[in-house]
Amino acid sequence: MLRNYFKIALRYLSKNKLYSFINIFGLAIGIASFVLIMLYINYEQSYDKFEGSENIYRVYMDYLEGDTFIPGDAQTYNLSGPTLKSEFPEVLDYVRFFYFEKMTFQLDERIFEQPLGSLVDPSYFNIFNYPLLKGEKEKVLSQPYSIVLSKSFAQKLFGNESPLQKTISAFRDGKEAVLTVTGVMDDIPKNAHYRNTFLISYETEKTWTDWGSKAHELNWNANNYYTFIKLDPNTNADVLRQKIIESDIEEDTEEQHNIEPIEDIHLYSNKPYEVSANGSITRVKFLMAIAFIILILSWLNYVNLSVTKSMERAKETGIRKVSGAHKSQLIIQSLFESILLNLIAIMLSLLFVVIVLPLYNGITGKGLNLQLGSLSAFLPYFLFILFGMVAAGLYPALLLSSYSPIKALKGKIQTSSQGLAIRKGLIVAQFLATIVLLIGTIVVTKQISFLESQPIGTDINQVIALKGEVVTTKPDSLLINEYKVLEEELKKLPFVEKIAIAQSYPGDSFDNLSSNRGILLPNGIKQDDKLFYTYHVQPDYFDLVDIEFLAGGTFLPSSNFDGKQVVVNETFLKNMGISSYDEILNKTVGFWGENEWRVTGVIKDYYHFGLKSPLLPMVIRYERDVNNILIKLDASAASVAGFESSIAQIKSEWTKVFPKSTFNYTFLDQKFEAQYQEDKSFGAAFQVFTLLAILIAAMGLFGLTSYTVVQRKKEIGIRKVNGATIPQVLTLLNKDFVKWIGVAFVIAVPISWYVMSQWLEGFAYRTTLSWWVFALAGISALLIALLTVSWQSFNAAVANPVESLRDE
Amino acid sequence: MLLQLRNVFKWVQQGGQRIFLLKDINLEVAEGEFISIMGPSGSGKSTLLNVIGMLDTFDEGEYDFLSESVHTLKEKYRSNLYKEYIGFVFQSYHLLDDLTVEENLEMPLLYKKIKGSERKALVADMLDRFNIVGKKDLFPTQLSGGQQQLVGVARALIGKPKLILADEPTGNLNSQQSEEIMQLFKKLNEEEGVTIIQVTHSEKNAEYGSRIINLLDGRKI
Ligand SMILES: Nc1ncnc2c1ncn2[C@@H]1O[C@H](COP(=O)(O)OP(=O)(O)OP(=O)(O)O)[C@@H](O)[C@H]1O
Ligand SMILES: [Mg+2]
Repeated sequence: MLRNYFKIALRYLSKNKLYSFINIFGLAIGIASFVLIMLYINYEQSYDKFEGSENIYRVYMDYLEGDTFIPGDAQTYNLSGPTLKSEFPEVLDYVRFFYFEKMTFQLDERIFEQPLGSLVDPSYFNIFNYPLLKGEKEKVLSQPYSIVLSKSFAQKLFGNESPLQKTISAFRDGKEAVLTVTGVMDDIPKNAHYRNTFLISYETEKTWTDWGSKAHELNWNANNYYTFIKLDPNTNADVLRQKIIESDIEEDTEEQHNIEPIEDIHLYSNKPYEVSANGSITRVKFLMAIAFIILILSWLNYVNLSVTKSMERAKETGIRKVSGAHKSQLIIQSLFESILLNLIAIMLSLLFVVIVLPLYNGITGKGLNLQLGSLSAFLPYFLFILFGMVAAGLYPALLLSSYSPIKALKGKIQTSSQGLAIRKGLIVAQFLATIVLLIGTIVVTKQISFLESQPIGTDINQVIALKGEVVTTKPDSLLINEYKVLEEELKKLPFVEKIAIAQSYPGDSFDNLSSNRGILLPNGIKQDDKLFYTYHVQPDYFDLVDIEFLAGGTFLPSSNFDGKQVVVNETFLKNMGISSYDEILNKTVGFWGENEWRVTGVIKDYYHFGLKSPLLPMVIRYERDVNNILIKLDASAASVAGFESSIAQIKSEWTKVFPKSTFNYTFLDQKFEAQYQEDKSFGAAFQVFTLLAILIAAMGLFGLTSYTVVQRKKEIGIRKVNGATIPQVLTLLNKDFVKWIGVAFVIAVPISWYVMSQWLEGFAYRTTLSWWVFALAGISALLIALLTVSWQSFNAAVANPVESLRDE
Repeated sequence: MLLQLRNVFKWVQQGGQRIFLLKDINLEVAEGEFISIMGPSGSGKSTLLNVIGMLDTFDEGEYDFLSESVHTLKEKYRSNLYKEYIGFVFQSYHLLDDLTVEENLEMPLLYKKIKGSERKALVADMLDRFNIVGKKDLFPTQLSGGQQQLVGVARALIGKPKLILADEPTGNLNSQQSEEIMQLFKKLNEEEGVTIIQVTHSEKNAEYGSRIINLLDGRKI
């Protein structure tokens, strides 16, 4: 029986090529899009899951703003962990991290710059249950000057030799520490928010640098540490969170400790001082919605086409009934066909996925794959696809089997008004989905270009930041002189327009900014609860990045570095309640135990982090320091060749001064733009999937009209014989679609208005939902539909009526 | 007694009016009969045939088939009864264009859940009997009208029905082809005892039967 069904189904599919192609292709695109998006979502949801991770929480700080606490800082004090452990029995253990964005290592004569590592407590492996390949988990980090390397870092340093007990030098602010390799851990998976490539024992901090012993003392002053705690599995985390907040371990009314599950960090946390840029749950939800829309769209298509097609097959069904087929047998046969068609589509979609995956990984920057391990997570989606497949097959099957055999044999089926209503409903639903996606794409694109076109209050075009790591045991105070030499040499290069040294710059990461509270204003008021951010630069910085002064100017070189100087911004004045420049200009402010910071200027606000974050209150300090060398290149370096020769010359100057060092540079504008990267790839994904959705809808429409036109061929012929013109026939055939799109549009507008306003909420600066966005989407949908439909109806309209009438 | 209709009425409601398609039909058919139904176009011949064949329902009266009361039977039993005992032949053959001759013959057997090997045997038998072995892999569109109707009859017969219902089986055929089909019916009726009820417009064809029923405006005359 099954074999017979199979044979007939195959024959039917191959005979009706257009129908099969549209159905299979549409479904395959729908399923492939669904699978691709779900792979991505699955991956995003898989972050920081390891054995026991459900009991691991990150401690973070809430800051008081007005009269509510808001998430303030992902980093905590070195006292936070120990205090929590001693005060709350639910807290079984804690681990603290001091994070290095990168570090310079030296092994014999070779110098390595290695990204991402930390100083960590010995309890690390008790909390992060990651595999340790060499060494013992309890011991590897217990002694000062121990280092655990990731497998690939160990490979890079030592090749195939065993690294255990070997020593390497690490440089922190130019200070060398000779570290003994005590262990090798497996590389931390990509789907972890904190991907250390080396771990240095926490005790090393104390003696590594001059100020180490001070920093190492337990205190409530410097919150520079990530703290993770492990809870007793029976703990109710919400209750504990409440207890922690209420107990106020730090005894500071301006801030409080809070906890969040480590598994939630990637999707739900976006605090200052995150280890890495996290994902976003909104994005995940949006993509999930798109995935379902596309999949359902392809099913709607399928149902619609099969229903239309089933009318053609009414006679066949009648014959089968008359030959003794039971209703249930007809349903099963029809379902069998639809399942076969779906299976072919699934196969094809998997092929699509496999082909597209590398490209898709390139866009999303994730290491997605179709490995079996993730299939269990896919089970619900798989069941959903299965369910949809059966549901989509069931309706045409039921419809088909319900035809009365006498009517079916007489070919009297077309006139079912109920079936027609359902088909209209399906088409409206398809257009609805298409228009919603179109509006979404337009809004996302508009928002991104809004962000990019917004003035950021600074000009970082053609500016590069040099930051090599210099391997030296010289103290910074001496190194500064070498920097001075380098600066002078670089200035002589013809293409160097301006040069300045700065600790941070627009587009930089949060790490180089320090957040503070408790500034003493010139009027004698100490603002204990107001945050401000600070970094330090040298006088030429403002001119180089073209930040405008509203009052005063840059630091005075004449002061010869004994007097402390700062520049503040507009937002700082606003937040501190200072209404005129005179109240602060050339007066002094106090923080960090130093009350003589002279304010030499007030700058116009600029965006340090792009428009995703609000403007920050800034206090920019003058400090001579070895840090990023910012270079503004002139137009001659704008071309690729010009730039390459320029950078080669810069590098050669650098290595002349610092022979033992690495050399690195970044374009500021690229780094700045990179902050929109996730939004851009989201926008790109949105666009691609919208296009695919439109393709599916258009294909469906194409298939549908090809049948309507066939069905109405005789009508068209008769009308033409009686004098109807081609435009009249076209209007006749197309006006229904216009009506349906109108209905879909009216429903789509409020839905997408609501949804897209929600999405825009996530941005500090957002574009408007102008009327033309909706109009553009509606008109595009209309055009696409009309083009698709007209393709078919035009042929019918221009056909010689005699031909079509003879066919009958 | 194969079947019996007693005071059967069928009507449709049109504009508040009852239009009778069948009016007070009484009919007894014994096993082995060969009956021709005649009457002008629109007189209800097809309707009557469909009612007898259980493809259509009626509104009043009683219908017994092999001592089962069809009018009280549930749909499921009715269709089993139908499947078991009745075969249909149509004017326009109604073969499935997507299936070969062989597959068309096999189809009713599939719905009777007959095993593969037995199906093959039955189909081969039928092909043989109707002399169409050479055509078994052709599709209906590749056959002449007469050949198609031959297949139609063979399909109706393959389930070994007691009753064959034929609605103008020769309506689309030329006289020679008609003759052939009629001979076939006669042979089936005489040699195998299959009961046949056919609708026809042709006096000549009607002669093949043993009894003629005349209809006019849904009424037996
Ligand atoms: N569903 C229906 N609704 C209304 N009238 C119907 C319906 N079905 C059949 N009729 C009418 O019933 C009458 C009998 O139809 P039937 O098909 O039985 O005629 P017939 O005798 O087979 O005619 P022909 O020789 O042309 O095939 C016709 O007048 C037809 O219009
Ligand atoms: Mg008739």
